[in-house]
Order: sequence, then structure tokens, then C-alpha cells
Amino acid sequence: MEEPPLLASTSRATASVASSSSANCPDPMDEGPSVSVPGLPFAEQLRAAGRGASSGSPGGPEAQVQALASISRGIYPLARAEALRGLAAVLETADAPGGVVELCHGCAVGLMRDEDEGVRLASVRLIALCADKLNTREGSDGNGDNQTDIMFLQRVSEGVLLQSLSKKVIKPNTGSGSIIKGEKVPPKLIYPCAAGIFAHGIEDEFHQVRTAACKSLGALSKLSAQYAQKALDLLMGMMNDDTEAVRLQTLQALFHMATYGCLTVQEMHMHMFLGLLVDMNASIRDATRKILGLVNLPKLQMFKSAIDVLITSLEKHQEEQEIYSVLFSVGKNHGNFSANIAKHLAKEISMPSDGELILDKPRIKALLIVSISVAFSDDKHNKRDIPEVIFSHAISLLGKISCAIGEVVDQNSLLSYFCQRTGIPFWETKLPSRESEGCSVETVADIRPRIEKTVKSTKCLDEVLTMQSVKSIIETVERTWTIRKSCNIRDVRNILRTCKEELRILASNSSGSTGAFLSFLCEYLDAVQFIVEILRSFQLDNSYDLGPTSPDILLEKLDTSIRRMKCCYAGFNRGMEIQVCELALLANLFGLSKVGIQSKLVLDKLHWMINRLDCLCADGSCELSYFSREIKKAFDANFVGHDIFTLLELFHPKPTTDYGMLKTISADLQVRDNDPENSSTYVCGLPVAVSLYISLCNISSQDRLWLRMIVGESIQHTFLELSSFGGNDEVKSCSTIIPFYATPMACSFVLRACLVMECPYGSVSIRQECNRGPSGSIIELSDELDVYFVCTKRR
Amino acid sequence: MAIECLVLGAGQEVGKSCVVVTFGGGKRVMFDCGMHMGHRDSRRYPDFDRLLADGAADYTAAISCVVITHFHLDHIGALPYFTEVCGYHGPVYMTYYDCAALVYPFQQYPTKALAPLMLEDYRKVMVDHRGEEEQYSYEDILRCMRKVIPLDLKQTIQVDKDLSIRAYYAGHVLGAAMIYAKVGDAAIVYTGDYNMTPDRHLGAAQIDRLKLDLLITESTYAKTVRDSKHAREREFLKAVHKCVSGGGKVLIPAFALGRAQELCILLDDYWERMNLKIPIYFSAGLTIQANMYYKMLIGWTSQKIKNSYTVHNPFDFKHVCHFERSFINNPGPCVLFATPGMISGGFSLEVFKKWAPSEKNLVTLPGYCVAGTIGHKLMSGKPTRIDIDKDTHIDVRCQIHQLSFSPHTDSKGIMDLTEFLSPSHVILVHGEKPQMAFLKERIESELGMQCCYPANNETVSIPTSQNLKINATEKFIVSFCMDETENDPQKQNLNFGGDMPQGCRTEGVAEGVLLMEKSKTPKILREDELLHSLGMETHFVHFEPLHPSSIEVKHTGESAVQQSSLEHLDCE
Repeated sequence: MEEPPLLASTSRATASVASSSSANCPDPMDEGPSVSVPGLPFAEQLRAAGRGASSGSPGGPEAQVQALASISRGIYPLARAEALRGLAAVLETADAPGGVVELCHGCAVGLMRDEDEGVRLASVRLIALCADKLNTREGSDGNGDNQTDIMFLQRVSEGVLLQSLSKKVIKPNTGSGSIIKGEKVPPKLIYPCAAGIFAHGIEDEFHQVRTAACKSLGALSKLSAQYAQKALDLLMGMMNDDTEAVRLQTLQALFHMATYGCLTVQEMHMHMFLGLLVDMNASIRDATRKILGLVNLPKLQMFKSAIDVLITSLEKHQEEQEIYSVLFSVGKNHGNFSANIAKHLAKEISMPSDGELILDKPRIKALLIVSISVAFSDDKHNKRDIPEVIFSHAISLLGKISCAIGEVVDQNSLLSYFCQRTGIPFWETKLPSRESEGCSVETVADIRPRIEKTVKSTKCLDEVLTMQSVKSIIETVERTWTIRKSCNIRDVRNILRTCKEELRILASNSSGSTGAFLSFLCEYLDAVQFIVEILRSFQLDNSYDLGPTSPDILLEKLDTSIRRMKCCYAGFNRGMEIQVCELALLANLFGLSKVGIQSKLVLDKLHWMINRLDCLCADGSCELSYFSREIKKAFDANFVGHDIFTLLELFHPKPTTDYGMLKTISADLQVRDNDPENSSTYVCGLPVAVSLYISLCNISSQDRLWLRMIVGESIQHTFLELSSFGGNDEVKSCSTIIPFYATPMACSFVLRACLVMECPYGSVSIRQECNRGPSGSIIELSDELDVYFVCTKRR
Repeated sequence: MAIECLVLGAGQEVGKSCVVVTFGGGKRVMFDCGMHMGHRDSRRYPDFDRLLADGAADYTAAISCVVITHFHLDHIGALPYFTEVCGYHGPVYMTYYDCAALVYPFQQYPTKALAPLMLEDYRKVMVDHRGEEEQYSYEDILRCMRKVIPLDLKQTIQVDKDLSIRAYYAGHVLGAAMIYAKVGDAAIVYTGDYNMTPDRHLGAAQIDRLKLDLLITESTYAKTVRDSKHAREREFLKAVHKCVSGGGKVLIPAFALGRAQELCILLDDYWERMNLKIPIYFSAGLTIQANMYYKMLIGWTSQKIKNSYTVHNPFDFKHVCHFERSFINNPGPCVLFATPGMISGGFSLEVFKKWAPSEKNLVTLPGYCVAGTIGHKLMSGKPTRIDIDKDTHIDVRCQIHQLSFSPHTDSKGIMDLTEFLSPSHVILVHGEKPQMAFLKERIESELGMQCCYPANNETVSIPTSQNLKINATEKFIVSFCMDETENDPQKQNLNFGGDMPQGCRTEGVAEGVLLMEKSKTPKILREDELLHSLGMETHFVHFEPLHPSSIEVKHTGESAVQQSSLEHLDCE
């Protein structure tokens, strides 16, 4: 057996290649060209490894991973990328034992900052795969729902986290450096690349980097309290950044921290923080408020300054109603401090104010809300300390307060609670009353179902509550009517005004027929007030009185008011119509008494009214009031033996509360692209086009609408063809261009446009001799609108 | 071959930066030509005579070129003296910014544009106020500036056949640059002053990864690691806001360039956000003029300012108005920037006299004030009374706020830059001795580089490595690469499961034969290629089996002897 032995000293490398690339590459040395490209053998090898993995070669995944890991540190990017893909393949196929995943992960992390994009891509993919593997593994240990990133984050120790914030080397608590050969060696950083990464990041030249740094700071804060504290310092500095995006991101990060409860504001941060509340930028203000609503302020001084700044902000930006809810939550979070505020406020309110309406001041409103919030705080002791006067004032701010609280507690229970604390008996005991000590505010988690429930019940509850208030208002009005003679007229006026005010507030909060009814009732009270005034002027017999209290003017006002009631509402039921007719009857009677002579016109009107009333009550479902019956009698007797003034005294307002399907007729007029700054142009003396957008509510096809345009003394009426309006029966709208002819010879003018409606209802009126205009009396449906014009030459 | 580095100034001190580097082949570059503000005698200028020590006829022959990094006086102050008085006529380089929008060529070079401003200002102070002997005239400054050759960022300038220089952005101040110089294989970087963290108006220093023999770096903050300046900004804004909302006046004494703009951007932005209507004033003179230059040299500023420049010039401050002398006594709050920075005299002193007695007012001082100035007195303790001279004194009741925005990089920044550039040697200048010693230790122990910090007029010689290009055969490379993946199974098992797979090498040792032939590039090749390339034949040694049957037992030693004897026999 003679085998010629080779001098094998030079083929060591060859052998090693052959051994590591297994049997699939029989003789790599034969492949001349492949050897000449240095990148190729890696790939070659790698595929071999991949194949080995799938075929379960005896080397096992460890060996392959080891081999691939070493390739991944090579100098050729293609090879590195391929090695990472190989690792991924091994991970996927093999039932990877513990160390392998970590090894792959380490390998991939090491190449995260590679200069080649392909390598970075591959490394990210490998990391994702590692995360998957780890997840499934941990999942089998019982916490499978752990999110990948969280898990990876938690693998980072607190020391590394803290180091990432500081450029200075933080010495670990244990073993501060080792002593080698008598010299102290500074402690080695575990991840040198992490050192001061955020300290650099937030100072970067590019705002994108700063934004990302802020975001990460916020996200990492929940992992360590100490970290959060230090991150806060950095983040606070970022509030002065010159880029808005960075500031917003910073606030978002802080909000994130606050939600996780790792935000403790210190006194040194307050100035910065409060400055943001009065920032020019609305979104910054909003974000800051959100945070403020969540944080805990350790000192009374801080709390007070926060409240003060919120009030300043409220005074500056009255439209930002969210401030109230922030005030509420800040107050609620600091029960002790709020109780303190409440005491001071109670003193202030109780002091006699010089006729000033202190409740209108934003400051008082804000402080009231803060004081009320004590009742909702967790602190049991303070709840009893709130002075009663606070609650009685709070009732008037019910709407604001319930808005501020959010949907957690509905308005009714809040009201009942306030009433109970004030000692005012609340009508409806059936309303869901809360526990005697105070309403409890639920945590965020169980708000949702409550809101859903409340939304359903609120609507009907609202209506019930509104009607209760309406009833009590009507009672008040009736009572006032009876005492009007014995009482000072000023008091009567006050009461009526207050009632109207209240109705108006109720009306603004309701919609549909309830809303319509409430505004109708407002008109009715207007009329009642005019009647009271007229009666009084008759009493005093100052018929020569001039100005707004002169009987003529009052009478005219009453007429208008009645006309509005007649025409601006649709869907009257019989009761309501009788009511309006009685008012009209009374108004005519006034006219009769005023004129003295029995004017034919007034008598005609009276006749018409009486007939109408008769007609309404003909079927016996309604009964004529005593007043109407007496008038009828007197009218039949041609007022012989009847003193008109005694007749007048018979009137008694009795508004009905049954309103059926009442609807408000209204209209809205808008002009396009026109304001004092941006006037439309015209040529003197030539007609000019007025481009209008008109929307109508509940207008029936019988109604006759006109557009009235007034410039100085000239009035132009234009009839509006309802057929040209689009929309349904309820809401109609159209954009139209209407010419205005009588442009003045001036360099500019203001045109006052208004939508008016002919008032056909029972109008036995003088026919106006006007060709182009509405016949009979009219009512204004919309507010008067100013349209600005400027002469072309002067522009 | 070696690089000789002669430190003429800023060796173990701050002031009169001047380093002369001699490359092989007689190339000599002077980096910076500054003056010392603390001395009034001959020590104020670098000792230029030393340049003539080795027998050069004049300075022009001794120095290949002068490169100025930026316009601060401790970097440029001695230049007119050197060119006009000492008579250097060689090239002088300063940074250049080319912008088509700029009309006047003279105003395109930040350092060149701002330098005469600074020099003339200083000359005036020296001659007119202190009554000193004039070292150079205004005409000298202008003549000197005419010699200056502009230098653009990242532009390689071939000074002569061998010497090339290139400037990199250094932050620090408008137009500041780091200089890379190369002669043959020897390359160095002189940083000048630089800042690794961006400002509101300047970016961070940027440089390529270069292969360097020597890095000469400033080390103002050799030991200090600065924390984020955001906290200081916050405090500053808080103090100013508090003061003006209380109806007080704020005096900010500032040098014309750099800090004033930085603070003004900060305040203007804050004013905008907080919707404050209180006026911010710039005192007349240098500051407004400097603002004008800043507006023109926008390309040298930070990213944010460059970006916003297309829409709005950030140096057109919205809330800043011009100050009239008569405003000093106006009632109501205001903020005033006034020169000079350390309240050493001039307008800021005038205003200080008026405003200091009210406790409502605030004076914001820079981080560093020269001893003897009022600024220094205010910083050291809180004096209630300052005597200006025998007759006049000021009652100081106002608040004092100290604010240091240093445009120098900190210890971490120096370490980062050094690590990034990885030079073989580091020389520290522009710093204080004890701190420099500390930094030297760190650089040597952590980065493993040789480091020194010579005193003034000391020369350091640094050996340079000479690069030799060699070729390598394919087979050698292949075998080297294969070597790398070779795994020792035992070692592998030991290390497995650890964080880092240590079985592989990133840097391996390869064995081969270096073949150097006359007139040919040296070549490295594998052992088995050697004979072939030498044109020799391969000789194989065959071992003949020697009748093992006849000899039953033999010692191995003897067989070895036998084998070797056989070798002799068989070898042809």
C-alpha cells in the first residue's frame, strides 16, 4: 500500500475551508474564479451552513451560528448582510437553544450601526426575529403578552439608562473601578455608545433628532423613577426649543410620563411650565393644560401660582373652555389646597360687592370651580369644609361645572347635590341622588359605560328638568302679576328680567320643540312685561311721556312682540293660539283705550279676534277665559256700560305648558367674502350685485319672504321665490345674487340687509301703498347684516 | 521623517494662540497668530524670532503659509504686527464663504470680514483709551487684510506642490474652522477653537474621518463636562421675565459677536412665544454692525437658521429696536444689550451707573470676566458699593444673574473628537496646565494615544510613519480570509453562550513572504507561490521506506537521524 504522502504544510488553510464548508463543496481550491472574488467564499460557505442547518448537520446550530457570526464581522458588506440572513435562517429552522438567540441578537445589534444599508436592514430583520423567538419563549413561561419593545427595553439596566442621560461617567455603586497594578482604573462603561446619548440628542442641530430624543426620553421614563426624574430636567430645558415640533413632542413626552405617574414637578420647573400655559401657540397651551391636570404639585405656593396662571390664561382666551376642566382636575387632585382656596373665596363672595356682578369675572368662576372640586377629591375631611355659600353660587355655574367635570357626573345629580348642600329643597327626589357626602368621580376605566348610560338618560331627564324649571318660572310670573300693583315696579321688572334670562339659558341648552317653546315663552314674557309697563303708565296717566317708556312706543313694541309670536312659530296647538289671541285682544283694547275714539280699524281687529277665539273654543275642548268672555260681552254691547280700564284689569297671563310640536321659524343670512377690511366694489349709480347665502328653517311654502336692503334712506325690497331654494321642508337654503339698484354717489357705503316675512295672521291692516314691497305688517326673521361696499375708483 | 511642532503661544495657557508645524521637506505652517490680552509688554505677541533660529533669511522664507482659524483676537491679534511690522509677505489664509446673493466680495469671508472690525476696535481701545503706544495702524490692518487669501469649507488648497490645507466647520463662532494640513504622508489637524454642541445660531463642529499623525486640539475645558445648556437658558429666561414683569430693566453687557446674537435669538423667540411687548434694545455700534454681517454670512450658521432663512432672516429680530442714548432714563421695563461685555467701560458702564441702584433691575453677566473689571467685582460676591474712582461710586442694589454660554467644547467633546479622528499623537494647547495634565492622562489611558502639552516656545518632535504600498497575490488574500473563519472547536465550545462570540478574529495575523525586488513594487505572497515567482523549480523530497522488517525495535531518535541522512541522500 504505497500512498505518496504530500507535503501538506501549505494546505492547512485549504483543509480548514474544506472542513468548515462541509461536504457540499468538495474542493474549493479547484474553483479558481470563485476564490479570486473574496466575497464569494463567504456566501458559498454561508449557503453551505444554511443547508447544513436544514439538514441538521452534526455541527448543530451553535457551530453554524458561531461561524456565521464570525463572517458577519468581515470587511465586505455583502458578506456581512448575507451572514445575518444566514443567522436568520438558522434561527428560523433550528430549535434554537438559549444562547443562540442571544448570540444572534448580539451579532445583529453590533451591526445596527453598520455603514452599509443592506447590512443594517438585515440586522433589523434579525433583531425582529430574535424578539419573536424570545417572545415565544417567554410566552411559554407565562407572560406571553409582553410586547417586544418593552421586553427589550427592560433588558437594559437602570445604570445604562442613567448613563444615557449624562455625559459624565456615572460610577456604579458596586466596585467603583478596579485597581490594577496599584493604579486605579476608571470603571468601564458597559455600553459606551449609550453614554450621554440623550444629552447629545437633545442638543442636536437637527430638530428631527431632538424630537426623537424627547420621544424616547418620555417612553423610557416608565422604566425607572430615577431616570424619569433626570429625564424631566432635560425635557424641561427643551421647552425653550426654537422648533415648535420639538416643544410639542416634549409636552407629549411629559404627558406620557404623567400618565404613567412618573412626573413630579419641582418648584424650579414651575416658571417654565406656567409660561407654557400662556404661550401664544394654542396647541402648546392645550398640551400643557393636559399635563397640568395630571400632575401632583407638592406645595401650596406652586398650586396657587398654577391656578393664578390658569386664570390669567382664561382671561386672555375666554373661548378656551377646557381651562375649566383643567381647573377642576387640578383642584380635585389637590383637595387640601383647594379647600384653602374655597375658604378664601367664601369670604370674598360674602363681602358686599358694590353692585358688581362678581360671578361674571373669570377669576371668580375659576375659583368657584376649584372650590367645588374639593367635593370630588379623595380627601374625606375637606368635603365637609366647603362653605355653603360656595354651593349656592355654584348652582348658577352648573353648566360650566358639569362641563368641567366631564361626562362623569350628569348635570341633574350635580344640581341635586348642590341644592342639598345649600339647603334648597330640590323638587325631584326621584332623581338619582348620590351618596350623602358627595358625588364620587370614577376612575378613567369605568367612565365609558357610564357615559353611554348617561347619554341615553340625559335627554329625557333634561326635558323633565327643563319643564320643572319652566313651571316654576311660570308660577313666579303669575305670582308677580298678582302682586304687581302692591310692589315696586322695579322689583317686578327685575323678576321678569331674571325669568327671561333663565328661560334664555334653558333655551340655549335645548333643541327641537322644547327649544322652540322656551323661546316662545321668552317672547310671551316680553309681552307680559310690556303689558305691565303699559298698565303702569295708564295708572300714572303720563301719556305725554316721551322716550322708550311712552305708551305709544310700548304699544308698538307689544304689537311687534305679538306679531313675532304669531308668525315666528309654526305648529301651534289650540291652547297656545288662544293665548296669543288673548294677548292680541288685550293689545287692541289698549289701542282702543289709547285712541279714545272707537277707531274702525281697531274695532275690526277686535271683532276678528273675538271671532277667532269663538271659533277656537267652538267645539268645547277649550274654554274662553273670563277676560275674553267679558270682552266679548262688552264688544257685543258696543262697549256701552263697560269701562275699558276695568276690562283691562281682568287680563291675567296664564301661559300654557303644553306645547305640542312647536317649531321655530327662523332664517339665516350670510354674505360671502365681505367684511370691513374686504369690501366689495361698485360703480356709483350702477346696480351692484350682493352675493348672499340664505338658509331658512321651518318656512312653509305659503310664507312670503322678502329681502330688505337699506342704504341710508333708500329701502329696497326684493321678493324671494321659495321655489328656488333647495333642501327639505325643515331646512331650505340657497346661494343667490341679488342686485341692489340705488347705489349712492359716495365713495363707500354700508348696506343693511335683512330677511323679512309678511305677517298675514289676522292682519286687518292698512294696505300700504307700496308697489314693490311686502303688504301688511312684517317681521324680521334674521339679524340685520352689514354689507360693505367701496367705489371702484377709490380703491 | 518627523513633524516638528513649535508652540509659540497658548502653550499651557489661554491666549496668543500660535503653533508652527514643520513638516518634512522644509514645509512650515503657522496656525493662528494671536495676541495675549493679559500682557502689555513683549509677551503680548508670540516670540516670532524663534522662527529665524535655524538660519532663515526672513519670515517669508521661514514660513510657507499662515492659517487663521477665526477672528478672535487671541487667534488673529498679532497678524497685522507679523505681516506689517515683522514683514511677513507669504500667503495668509482665512475662511471664505461663497454666496451668490452677496454683492461685495469683501464681505463674503466671515473671518476676513469680521477680523478688521475686531482688530480696529481693539486698536482703538488700546491707543485711544489706554494711551498706549501704537503697535500697528488702521492702514496696517487694511494692508494686512489685502494679503489674505480666502478659504472655503472643505476646499482643498494646494499651497505649493507638497503642502495642501483644508478647512472644516468648527462651530465656536461665525467663520471658525479646523484646519487639516498634509505634506506627503504626514497629516495633521489643528482645531483652533471649536464646539461640538450646536448653539442656537451655530452648528456643531464637523470633520471627516482622516488618517492623522498629529492632532493639535484646544483644551479650554480639559476637565469640565458641561451639562445641557438648556437649564441655564431656562434660568436666564426666568430671571429676565421676572424682572421685566416687575417693571425692571435688564442690562446684558455682551461682546459684539457671538454671545449677543445667541442671547438675542433666545430672547426674541421667547418674546414671541410669550407675546411680550417689552422692547429689546441693541446699543449702537458694533452690535448692530455685527448683526448685519451675521445676516450676510448665514451659510455659516446652524441648520435651523439656514432653513428658516429662506422664509425670514432670523437676525432680523422682531422685537429688537435701536437704542437711543436718551432712553436710559425712560421709565418702564426694557432689555438692553450693551458693549463692552465685562462692563469695563464705555456704554455698558454708563448704563450700569444709571440702573444699578434700583433693586428692580437686573444685570446679566457672562461666564467669564477679566479681573479688575466691574463685571468681575460683581461676580465675586455681591457688592453693595462699587468705587469707580476716588470720587464716584455706585450703589449696587440690582440683581445679578450670571450666565455662561461657552462656545468651547467640553472634555467629552475633546475626547469624542480625538477618538473619532484617532491620530497617533495628540498635542493639547489653549488650556490650563493642571487640567491639561488630567486630559493627557485620559487620552493616554482610554484612547491609547500619545499625548503632550508643551509649554510656550517648546518644540515637540513627532515621528511619522511612512506608508509603503505593497501588492499581494490573490492566493495570499484568499488564504488570509480563510484563516479568519478557521475555528478551533475547543475554543468555540468554551466561549459559546457568552455575549460576544470570541472564536473569530477581526484582525488576524497572516503569514506570508514579502518579496522586495529592485525597481518593482514590493509584493506579499504565500509560501507556496514563492518558488514559482522566483522562477525556481520545486524539489520534492521523497522518503523511501527502509526495510522496517529487518530491524525490529529501534529508538525514535535514531530513526530521525536515519531519516535526515536519507534526506541528504535523496536530495538532488
